[in-house]
Amino acid sequence: MDDKVAIVGIEYSQGDDLGLTRERLCFRTVRGVLDKLGIDRHAIDCFILASNDFLEGRTISNVFEDGPVGAYLKDETKVEMDGINAVVYGALRILEGNYDTAMVIAHSLCGHQVSPYLQVQYSLDPTYDRQLGLLNELSGAALQARAYLRSRGLDEGWLDRAAAAALANGAANDMVTRSLDGADESKVASSSYLYEPLREMHCYPPTDGACAIVLASAGRARELTDRPVWIRGFGSSIDSYYFAGRDLTRSASAADAARRAFAMAGISDPASEIGLAEVSDLFAYQAPLLAASMGLADADEAPRRFAEGGFGKDARLALNPSGGALSAHPVCATGAVRVAEAFRQLRGEAGAVQAGEPRLALAHGQDGLCLQQNTVVVLGI
Amino acid sequence: MEGLMGSYFTPAVPMDFGYNYRLGAYLERYLDGLKEKKILGVRCSGCGKVLVPPRMYCGGCRLRLEEWVELGTEGELVEFTVGHVSMSKGRLSQAEPFTIGLVRPDGAALPLLARIRGADPAALRPGMRMRAVWDPDAENEYLVLSHYEPA
Ligand SMILES: [Zn+2]
Repeated sequence: MDDKVAIVGIEYSQGDDLGLTRERLCFRTVRGVLDKLGIDRHAIDCFILASNDFLEGRTISNVFEDGPVGAYLKDETKVEMDGINAVVYGALRILEGNYDTAMVIAHSLCGHQVSPYLQVQYSLDPTYDRQLGLLNELSGAALQARAYLRSRGLDEGWLDRAAAAALANGAANDMVTRSLDGADESKVASSSYLYEPLREMHCYPPTDGACAIVLASAGRARELTDRPVWIRGFGSSIDSYYFAGRDLTRSASAADAARRAFAMAGISDPASEIGLAEVSDLFAYQAPLLAASMGLADADEAPRRFAEGGFGKDARLALNPSGGALSAHPVCATGAVRVAEAFRQLRGEAGAVQAGEPRLALAHGQDGLCLQQNTVVVLGI
Repeated sequence: MEGLMGSYFTPAVPMDFGYNYRLGAYLERYLDGLKEKKILGVRCSGCGKVLVPPRMYCGGCRLRLEEWVELGTEGELVEFTVGHVSMSKGRLSQAEPFTIGLVRPDGAALPLLARIRGADPAALRPGMRMRAVWDPDAENEYLVLSHYEPA
């Protein structure tokens, strides 16, 4: 896609306890991006909220956030999914021609206020999996981890090194919840088992967070910033609802989502064209699994290279220089944060985690149980 | 203002509702089968795969599934994990280690997730032969197929 829709501004925060109400968090995040752009809420044509009623504890929870985000008497809709889907929705609304600007605001408060596992647990089939009581986000991820390790000939020590590599990236990023200075894999290895082979530090931390992203049409984008980041392509795909029927060693739907996004972006060789990828790696094995599934890296080489830090900020492909979702996973905002991280990397504003001068970046978000649903957005300058 | 936000939380706000889902003909027949120590699947006339637990449509072929098949009570272990926590209503609690695994019943294209007992987890390997163990008196009718053990 040519220069049609751009991201012009971002604002986000993550932490294990931001000490805020959800209304204050949403207000602060939206206020932050409006101030950066020097505009007020009347410059925004439509608002798209991404949150989850199970995590909010009330139905149609977005109506309580319309005021704080500035959507009062404005066009407002909601995506009950990861916020990266709200970014795609915003881009579509601008492409359709009725809007010149869209504000995406994604958030949740799963640090201390509510369990992050609720969303997936209550997405399971109530007539089978929930009756059997064996499947949940962690047991599913453990089975996926085992299947992945086995398929690639890796041992549990690899998981420790992969988690340490991700958390070492997070250590340099002041935007994350959990980091590991010195990337001490023994710290990871000594955290307790949840479901083998997954230990507590192989899994994402409970996180508070919010992310606001402003999108604009080409003409409006150039008025709002001299450095727009263009949306080049996007794609979504969903795998089977039946966990037990999926190939757990790769993600067919991530591959499909990426293929659609690359086709739209005119990318024929993603492994050489994409310089930066931010993926929602909820568990330590997922970043290389995703990179390989999406055609960014060789399936055999990716896991070892990832654990050795070979996708660091100096590498030809930087994979999750932010520390990824393993360092902070504010449910619903995580994929939007990947877009925000890609935005600041492309603009050269990522500070200590800046990964060279990428021209083309990929952001990924997931919903459902263990990479069931995947969305990919390709961004460029 | 933000500095005034102290550590006040509301008392826990529980939402604990009961839902009584009607299962539909396919799962009802599956559960009836368990009572007779039978594991029932349905064969797709398009891809030939036998799907379990039974469902009305094959997602891949978009065909209605009509042919019921009795599967073996033995099968092969596909993958497994040892749990050290259990999850209820999104909350984790410590648990005595227990094993669950994906077991593909003989004749089926897909595995069932089930409890694994009577085996040292260190000795479990994918491809191992497993057999179903029944508990006709199980309160939870899904657990009449109680668990699998090495055959
Ligand atoms: Zn079929």
